Amino acid sequence: MDRVKQKARDLLDSNKVQVVIGYEEGTDGTARPVFIMDSKNIDKLIFNDRCYHNLAVYLTKVEVEKIGRVAVEASLNTLKGIVKLASEGQFVFEDIDILGVNRNGELYEFASLDEVIDYIDQHPVEYSPEEISLLRKIESMTREERWEYWQEEFSRCIRCYACRAACPNCYCDACIVDINQPQWISPTPDALGNLEWHIIRAMHLAGRCVNCGACAKACPVDIPLNILNLKLAEEISKNFGISEEFLLTNYPLAIYDPNDKENFIK
Amino acid sequence: MARIGVFICHCGENIGETVDCTKLAEVTSRFPGVVKSVDYKYMCSEPGQTLIKEAIKENRLTGVVVAACSPRMHESTFRKTCSEAGLNPFLCEIANLREHCSWVHEKSEEATNKAIDIVRALVEKVKLNEPLYPIKVPVTKTALVIGGGVAGIQAALDIANGGHKVILVEKNPSIGGHMSQLSETFPTLDCSQCILTPRMVELAQHPNITLYSYAELESLDGFIGNFKVKIRKKAKSIDENLCTGCGLCTTKCPVKKIPNEFDENLSYRKAIYVPFPQAVPNKPVIDRENCTYYLKGKCKICERFCPTQAIRFDQQDEIIEVEAGAIVLATGFDIKRADFFPEYGFGKYKDVIDGLQFERIASASGPTLGEIRRLSDGKIPKKVVFIACAGSRDPAKGIEYCSKICCMYTAKHAILYKHKIHDGQAYVFYMDIRAGGKNYDEFTRRAIEEEGAKYIRGRVSRIYERDGKLIVVGADTLMNARPVVIEADMVVLATAGVASPGSEELAQKLHVAYDQYKFFTEAHPKLRPVETNTAGIFLAGACQSIKDIPESVSQASGAAAKVCGLFSQNELTRDPLIAVVNRTAPPLYSTCVGCFLCQSVCPYQAIEKEEIKAKDGSVIKIIAKINPGLCQGCGSCVALCRTKSIDLLGYTNRQIYAEVDAILNTL
Repeated sequence: MDRVKQKARDLLDSNKVQVVIGYEEGTDGTARPVFIMDSKNIDKLIFNDRCYHNLAVYLTKVEVEKIGRVAVEASLNTLKGIVKLASEGQFVFEDIDILGVNRNGELYEFASLDEVIDYIDQHPVEYSPEEISLLRKIESMTREERWEYWQEEFSRCIRCYACRAACPNCYCDACIVDINQPQWISPTPDALGNLEWHIIRAMHLAGRCVNCGACAKACPVDIPLNILNLKLAEEISKNFGISEEFLLTNYPLAIYDPNDKENFIK
Repeated sequence: MARIGVFICHCGENIGETVDCTKLAEVTSRFPGVVKSVDYKYMCSEPGQTLIKEAIKENRLTGVVVAACSPRMHESTFRKTCSEAGLNPFLCEIANLREHCSWVHEKSEEATNKAIDIVRALVEKVKLNEPLYPIKVPVTKTALVIGGGVAGIQAALDIANGGHKVILVEKNPSIGGHMSQLSETFPTLDCSQCILTPRMVELAQHPNITLYSYAELESLDGFIGNFKVKIRKKAKSIDENLCTGCGLCTTKCPVKKIPNEFDENLSYRKAIYVPFPQAVPNKPVIDRENCTYYLKGKCKICERFCPTQAIRFDQQDEIIEVEAGAIVLATGFDIKRADFFPEYGFGKYKDVIDGLQFERIASASGPTLGEIRRLSDGKIPKKVVFIACAGSRDPAKGIEYCSKICCMYTAKHAILYKHKIHDGQAYVFYMDIRAGGKNYDEFTRRAIEEEGAKYIRGRVSRIYERDGKLIVVGADTLMNARPVVIEADMVVLATAGVASPGSEELAQKLHVAYDQYKFFTEAHPKLRPVETNTAGIFLAGACQSIKDIPESVSQASGAAAKVCGLFSQNELTRDPLIAVVNRTAPPLYSTCVGCFLCQSVCPYQAIEKEEIKAKDGSVIKIIAKINPGLCQGCGSCVALCRTKSIDLLGYTNRQIYAEVDAILNTL
């Protein structure tokens, strides 16, 4: 962690970056994102298991852009978010300084986007046993039970859109739920509106989601959105036979590949 | 305020028998915004159209719904009608009562109710229609022809004679294609080269044609009327302006043992060579893979002897950029070779050859100067077995189609053989004789009845060599599958015709569809056989499917006619039913967030990047922009866009939503 702090300090002092985005101690034993613009505050930086926020989410914000060049304390999940956003043209990878941190808070430096992708590739997503068992439990339900289950889960949704705010891939200036000409999705937090919102959110993330789980952790009413994402990831790899590494920089729902395993497209 | 007119067509009994059109007119006349609703026996007839025109004028209609047959049938008719009455044609919508209702339902009240719902949906849609105007794109009146075989030559000459510029790209050192390799042609037995070479020369001398031989397509951008083409002109290692084609270099070149592709590897050529004496252009190229200078760094004998100092060892490939308004693909075909037929000993026994090799042996300019001789020992073959369908129509070989030309050329081979070796006997193993075409069946009958070829209906199981003879083992299925064993001196396989190598890569460069066998796909198998699905790219000859010479030439002339038609106007007019990216007020400028995932889903490469700039020129935002010349209005990008920033004109999100809403709210 000392090397992370040292590098962050150097970057700020030399004025190479204007802001360092990282984690600091929050209240009640939580960790929270912090924006450090003055190097004397660098010692606030921490990294541990409580730092689950995907900091890539801030990189597409106009307000952050206005501060100047950014350095990000990047966990594996944040790195994935960065690669995905760069592949969707939201910023140029070289315009961001990365303070990579591994699980133990040690500094990782990357010279290029390819190096980041290699690093991610060497560290596949690990789902917790709880996540896997919940997914299998839902899969084993009948259609009606599954429908009941999600209706029940979604019924708690208050449409605060914390899931959207926490997700690095939800960077649209005008989200579909905010578009009212026509009003595709009902903004009302009722059964239909909630169902529409969560289905469309899942569809918009299918093949793009980096499975960081930030959405589920942000949810104030504990809807297991991570399970939806996990299922989507499984479906995508099953139906498209595509590796996680490939998914990071490509969108399988929109590509034509002559070597696709399905013959019908030829 | 919307003033919509609804015009209900009985389509004789097609709709009127099932749907209560009078009731439909009565109910729809009460829809909000509908000011006129009438039914009529045949709305597409002259009086029917007049009815619409008069109603538009009398009722000052702002939109028209014609409830009739499929829009594929009469949308353009009724839009034209509206246009003649002064209403923008895109303010007319078709409610498909025939295919979507009356043809699929029994006469009932429900059928009428469904018709009411269909009309309601279209009324709600048409209220949101906006006037649209045809898109005009300029046309570059130069055609690019890819491939210089007989189809490419014909297309190029026809377009050039139509008064337009043509650029012909041929990957080999000479134009002429497979036709230049043939001995005689069926069914008239005229000499192939004698009829082809005058065309080749005409092409080379044509003031409207620029020929790039030994060149390939590097890349293609742009769209119909406005293609931007990069051509890679491979280094010939000679200065074409200085070279007189005297041939001294070829004579002096010490590298002698390179298999001659033109002779199907039955003879040898030099490292600096002209593929055949009548080649166009008749100037040599250096085969760098086999030239001693390029392999070992010294030799340069050709340079020493060249009287005009035309040899250029340091010549580089050249990339030529040209603009073209239309493209004709004429890349031809190839045939299956040795490794495909181990069971026939092809590649193992010298005297088992393919059809093109037989053409070279029978050709006066071929390796045996037209004498039919065995390749192994030079003896005259007294018994020759021809095997049709070698690979074709054979699911086991992965080629299920008929190669089409083999029946005819095998009959020709049998005749040519008999003409040259009077005491010889030709046997032909065949599955069916497919001789459809002018004078074709007569030709095969002639081979059998006059020239004495013995046709055996059955397949050959294997071929092996014994005492210098090829033992052909087959069956005669017309004689209860009686085994047939023939001791032959030579076997000719009519091997399957296949797409020419590199077809798939070329199709991908051009974004042209191709089938599982890599043949290019036509836009419609019956009604648009020379067009591809990519506007402005046309097909000629065997690159679409195996064809004989007359068919290739006909299709080439068809493609040329299409190109000339395209070039007859200075501007192209297209329906404006294309996708557009929205624009909104600052600071958003557009809801497009520039993820460009639409770019990868677009099958027409129509999506570009557009920079929104401030007054000082700095870039505020980069958003998607759809090129109206390329967009075909398929709507893939509309469906993919997460922020609904793309709309398909004529089918905007609001229109579709209103249409769906109108149907759902009645359920």
